[in-house]
Amino acid sequence: MDIRYSGNRILVGDKYLTLLDQFVLDFIRVLEPKTPYVIVSGYVAILFGRSRGTEDIDILISRLAKDTFGELHTALSEGGYEFLNAEDADGLYDMLLNRMGIRIAKKGQFIPNIELKFLKDDIDRTVLRDRVEVNLPGVRVYISPIDIQIAYKMYLGSQKDIEDALYLWEIFKDDLNHEDVKKWMKTFGVRGDEYGIVV
Amino acid sequence: MNMELLFDREAHAKERLAFVRTYAAWVKRTPNAEWSRQQALLINSFFENARNMPLSPRDYLLAVAGRKKNSRQETSHTALESFDARSDPPH
Repeated sequence: MDIRYSGNRILVGDKYLTLLDQFVLDFIRVLEPKTPYVIVSGYVAILFGRSRGTEDIDILISRLAKDTFGELHTALSEGGYEFLNAEDADGLYDMLLNRMGIRIAKKGQFIPNIELKFLKDDIDRTVLRDRVEVNLPGVRVYISPIDIQIAYKMYLGSQKDIEDALYLWEIFKDDLNHEDVKKWMKTFGVRGDEYGIVV
Repeated sequence: MNMELLFDREAHAKERLAFVRTYAAWVKRTPNAEWSRQQALLINSFFENARNMPLSPRDYLLAVAGRKKNSRQETSHTALESFDARSDPPH
């Protein structure tokens, strides 16, 4: 793997873009003009080669004004997307305000889909503030800081999540600041020792 | 759960983690064009199969909600205790 990792930027040259990558990039083209975003959870590991599929991509955004969300709703609807939740724009906005995710897919499909959420706590705000720019051939996406992802996945604790955490650790352990990983593990109340994530 | 099943589950989990380490090591020593080509074969086939899922959006959302509920019940109590002041897990 040829990656260049420097602070809040990762360069991944010559990556073949999968249909899942294309789906994410298409969605971001509509989302990004409306608001900054950050991709979190499983897709982060998949982006760097983890050998698994996923049915949803989790994206966090700041709390939008109702009018701005209305514009996003219109742009997505006109861009060939539909909302899987049986709500109109007002109902979807209320769901977001109530800390729920709303699911968005290409019209006529529901896998894969985007689960879009407003930031809801200080950790989410840090994830967006410190998001990492990933440069792929011809495009860029913003993802959660890797150290936070590793600790967060450990915290979620399912076998799949622990495998994602271990995978990110194995790929990035030589690039990460181990003190930062340790700090986030402490924040989430998790330990990685038994899985070989030793900081 | 009987001990034999528990052992099988733990052995399977360890085997999976060993595979993740081995696979990550392979990705690290393999050019981007190659590991990503092989990954794309897997992900693109998953993507194509998903188009044939005979579910309505409502049934799909119900299935997702059920899986999330089960997943939360399996999450370690140790991890949850550190967040008992929260109403939701982060993200």
